[in-house]
Amino acid sequence: MELFDPLVIMLIIAGLYMAWNIGANDLANAMGTSVGSGALSIKQVIIVAAVFEFAGAVFFGKRVTSTIAKGIVPIDSIAMTDTNLVAIGMLAAILAAGFWITLATFYNLPVSTTHSIVGAVLGFGLIAAYNGIIGFNDINWPVLFKIVGSWLISPVLGALLAYIIFSLIRYFILQKSDDPYRIEKKFVFLQVATACFIAFAHGSNDVANAVGPLYAALNALDMAGVTVPLWVMIMGGFGMVFGLATWGYRVIETIGTKITELTPTRGFSAEFATATVVVMHSYIALPISTTHTLVGSVIGVGLAGGLAAVDLSVIGKIFLSWVITVPVAALTSALIFVGLLGIGI
Amino acid sequence: MKKEYIRSVLNIFASSPFKPLCIHANKGGDCVRKLSESVHAFCEGDMETVERLNHEIDDIEHEADVIKQTIRGELSSSIMLPVHATDLLNFLKPQDSISDEAQEVSYWLTLRRFDAPPEIHNGFGELMGRTLATVEQYEKLVDTLSELLESSFSKRDVDDTLSLVVEVEEMEHQVDVIEKDLVRKIFHNEDVLGGVGVFHLTRLVMGIGKIADNAEHAADRLRTMVLRR
Repeated sequence: MELFDPLVIMLIIAGLYMAWNIGANDLANAMGTSVGSGALSIKQVIIVAAVFEFAGAVFFGKRVTSTIAKGIVPIDSIAMTDTNLVAIGMLAAILAAGFWITLATFYNLPVSTTHSIVGAVLGFGLIAAYNGIIGFNDINWPVLFKIVGSWLISPVLGALLAYIIFSLIRYFILQKSDDPYRIEKKFVFLQVATACFIAFAHGSNDVANAVGPLYAALNALDMAGVTVPLWVMIMGGFGMVFGLATWGYRVIETIGTKITELTPTRGFSAEFATATVVVMHSYIALPISTTHTLVGSVIGVGLAGGLAAVDLSVIGKIFLSWVITVPVAALTSALIFVGLLGIGI
Repeated sequence: MKKEYIRSVLNIFASSPFKPLCIHANKGGDCVRKLSESVHAFCEGDMETVERLNHEIDDIEHEADVIKQTIRGELSSSIMLPVHATDLLNFLKPQDSISDEAQEVSYWLTLRRFDAPPEIHNGFGELMGRTLATVEQYEKLVDTLSELLESSFSKRDVDDTLSLVVEVEEMEHQVDVIEKDLVRKIFHNEDVLGGVGVFHLTRLVMGIGKIADNAEHAADRLRTMVLRR
C-alpha cells in the first residue's frame, strides 16, 4: 500500500478539515478567556496557542488518538476481513463528524467535536457488526461507557476544581488584601502560564478527533504500527493551529469582547481547572470536550461567588447536544459507510 | 439573520446587573440634586427655573425606569448571581422610588408659588440639604458593590458596606427630625400661609422626607442582600 492510496489522501484531507474546525472554534473558545480578562492580546494568544497546542498534540496526543482509532471498534478484526474496510469506515466516520460539526457551527450549537467523532466511529462499528464482519460484543462497550461517563464527569470535575481553586484564592489572597484590583494585575502573569497550559491540554486531547480515524486506517493498511506516526500528530497539530490563525482569531475577538467579567483571578481559576481535567483525561486516554469542561469550570467559579452573573441555561443546551450528537453522528456515519460500500469503493 | 461560522458556549457569561444597578442609583442621585436646585429656586420665587428643572427631572426619571426594566428583564430564572435575585429585585424597588418621589415633589413645586416667612424658608433649605446628603451617602453605598464583587465579598469590604448602611440610616433619622420640626412650624404660621399654603408646603415637606425614607429603605434591603447571600 502506498501513502498515495486515494482513501488515505481523502482521510488526510478530511482530518485536516476537522483539525481546522477544532482550531477555529474549540481552541478559540479555550483561549478566548485569556483575551477576555486582558491577560494577552489577540496576537500573543495566537502565538502562545500555536506553540503549546502543537506541543500538546505532538507529544501528548497519542493516547487519546489510539482510543479513537482502536479503543471503540476492533479495527484489527475488521482488517482481517478486508484492510480497506477500516479505511472506508473511518472515512465515513470523519466525514459524518465533519458534516455535523459544520452544521452545528453554522447554527451556533454547543456541539463537541469529540462527541461527534466518537458517535461517528461507533456508527461505523455498528454497521460492521450488522453486516456480520464483527460481533456486536466485539465493540468495546466498556470503553465506550467509560468515555460517555467521562463526558458527564469532566464538566463536574472542572466545576469542583475551579470552585476549590477560586475559593482558595478568595480566602487566602483576595480577602486578605486592601486592594483587590492590584491582585488582579498580579494574576495576569499567572494567567499567561495557564493559557499555555490550556492550549497544551486542548492539543493533547482534541487532536485525536482529527487524526484518530486517519491513524486507524494507516494501522489497518499496515502503514503504521502500534504507536501513532509522528507525522500524523504533526499534521493534526498543524491543522488546528492553521484553523486558529485563519478563523479562530475572529472567534476569540467575539468572545473576548463579550466576557469582560472574567478578571484574571477568575480566568486563572477556570482555565487551570479545565486544563488540569483535560490533561488528566489525555493521560488516561479518554476523549472529552474541552469546551464543555470549561463551561463546568466557569460555573464552578460562579458557584464560589466569583462572577457577577452566570447563565445556567447553557447546561440544558449542552445536555441536549450530547443526546442529539451521538445518535446523529452515528447514523450519518453509518449511512455514509453503507453508501461508500454500495458504490463499490 | 447573518450566521457567523462560530460555535461558542460562552453565552454562559450573562450580563452583570450590578453595573446598571450603580448607574440606576446615580440617576436617583441626579434627580435629587436637580430637585435640590429646584427647591432653592422655588424658595427664591424663581418659578421659571422650577419649571425647567421639572422637565429635566422627568427625563432622568424616565432613564432610570428604562434601566430598571432592563435589569428586571435580564434576570431570568437561569441566571446565577452571587446574591439572591429576589433580594436584588427587592432592593431595586425602593431605589427606584427615590427618583419617582423626586419627580413627584418636583411636580408639586410647579403648582404654587412660595410665600412664607424666613424660618420656613430656612427649614426647607435644611431639610433638602440633609435629604440630598442622605441620598449621596446612599450612592456611595451602592458604589461599594463593585468592590464587594471584585474581592468576592471579603469580610472587610462587607463591613465597610454595612457601616455605610448604618450611616445612611442615621442621616435619614436626622431628616425625620427636621421634617417634623418643619411641619410644626408650617402649622404655626397657619394664619400667614392660609389653608392651601399649609397644605401645599406640608405636602412638599412630606415628599422630600419620603425621598430620604426610600434611600434608607433601599440601604436596608441592600444590607439584607449582602448578608443573606
